[in-house]
Amino acid sequence: MKPVTFVLRLVLVIAALLVVLPLVWTLLNAFKTNADLLVSTPKLIFTPVWDNMEYVLNRRSVARALVNSLVICGWAVVLGAVLGVPAAYVIARVKNRITQEAQFFALSLRFLPPVAVAIPMMVIWLGLGLYDSRVALIITYMTITVSITIWLSIPAFERVPLAIEEAARVDRLGPYATFFRIALPVAKLQVLSAIAFSFILVWNEFLLAMMLTTSRAKTLPIIASEMSQLGMSVPWGILNAAVVLLSLPPLILLALVGAGLNSAFSAKTSQE
Amino acid sequence: MRLGRSLPVVFLGPALMVLIILAAVPTLYAFNISLQNRTLSAPDADYIWFANYLAMFSDDRFLNALWVSLKWEVLTVSATMIVSMGLAIAMFEAASPRWRKVLSILFIIPVLLPRVCAAFVWKFSFHPLYGAVTWPARAITGDTPDILSSPAGAMFAVAFVDVWQWGLFFAVIILKLLEALPPQPLEAARIDRAKRWEIHAYITLPMLKLPLISLLLVKAIESLRSFDLVYVMTRGGPGVATETLDMYAYSQGFIEAGNISYASGMAVVMLVLTVVMFTVIWKRLNQ
Repeated sequence: MKPVTFVLRLVLVIAALLVVLPLVWTLLNAFKTNADLLVSTPKLIFTPVWDNMEYVLNRRSVARALVNSLVICGWAVVLGAVLGVPAAYVIARVKNRITQEAQFFALSLRFLPPVAVAIPMMVIWLGLGLYDSRVALIITYMTITVSITIWLSIPAFERVPLAIEEAARVDRLGPYATFFRIALPVAKLQVLSAIAFSFILVWNEFLLAMMLTTSRAKTLPIIASEMSQLGMSVPWGILNAAVVLLSLPPLILLALVGAGLNSAFSAKTSQE
Repeated sequence: MRLGRSLPVVFLGPALMVLIILAAVPTLYAFNISLQNRTLSAPDADYIWFANYLAMFSDDRFLNALWVSLKWEVLTVSATMIVSMGLAIAMFEAASPRWRKVLSILFIIPVLLPRVCAAFVWKFSFHPLYGAVTWPARAITGDTPDILSSPAGAMFAVAFVDVWQWGLFFAVIILKLLEALPPQPLEAARIDRAKRWEIHAYITLPMLKLPLISLLLVKAIESLRSFDLVYVMTRGGPGVATETLDMYAYSQGFIEAGNISYASGMAVVMLVLTVVMFTVIWKRLNQ
């Protein structure tokens, strides 16, 4: 092995450890008592306890926030997919001024600073009497899910070979049937990963949720962040447990996002 | 390509309508509120027109937040690009296909984590008394270094977490871009006995110029969403050292004064700055 290769591999190993170690460490900390956790020399060997997890899982606020997060993100993602995926298909297939502008518009929503959305939204929802409700957050989150689903699904449909759709037309399939029975199934994996990504974005969302909820519609990230505000004695074990639980759904979707990423790039090479 | 007459309208229309409403209404509303003197406690308000905007320019804390935001953008964007290009080239040069796969999966993980979680994980690691990162310093010198309590340390620590999330993710994308390059120019360069760093500096990275600039732009946009990281790790502190514009707008509107009109004015300034800037850059890039 050349010295250069050795150095590069060392860098890669360090980078990989920077990912693995903090995650493993957090997982371990979630099962430590405060006596094991709050020590000057980090402890590798300890008696694991289930107390932190139990505390987190049994709290009413956490259970309610979990339901809120699931309902709010679920609806926002489903509505985002129903509206966004067909729109992406049109943008991918029809290339004219309107669709180009529509594509850019969907992207430009990402330029909006979250604060600039949150403040007026708060005033609007207060005025409508919907402040601190799930509906308000679902509609607000649709800004994120619709635009991201469109943006990431366009390349998925552009990859679908035109020849297949032409063949479908020869077989007398109408435009709608072509979309549902040909284009959508062919682009399935990448479209699903786009939807998964939009779910992760809203599941992780923090600022809008914090400004638009006070009690009833609070989502999990808000509850997790509040656990650190219990005065001077931060319950680090409980906090670690909450971090682990909050991180699970995005990590479960990791495989899907990874597969979508792979197919997005492999397609480019095979077509050229 | 014929899609029929109704399909484009039926498929694209509703999504566009929803997006236009969701974008236009809050934007106009924000501008409207910023012209008033509305506060959280009192629902009634008068129009004071541009007084909020004028007040900003004599508000030291606002100017500080503007400066902090600018520093944050430059720091995180440049660090992310350098780290991701370095790691991508390292993977391209020194990792076998199987290791590339493993590393790619690992490097995507941080960006998928909720930023609140990433912030907590590292905040505890940086803890002066119990943190794992500060442990070597404690063990060797006996000091208890409090990274988050010094202005520069706090800035770099928060930026580190941001780069931990985005730099590693971008490395995976840049690796895929490198793998998709045609092999002939690289072969030719190798036959001409070009050194490996020369191949990347003069051939592969220039070939990837456009996608790299797009990535840079995406990162610049995502760097604007730093609120959760800053909120959890430092709350804008120590003092106002890491108080970005969204953090300051939040504390003006919700915590200290409840002055939502003033906060709204700042939001409008941010909105105009970012939308105009990114639209111009993006349109120019895609021409």
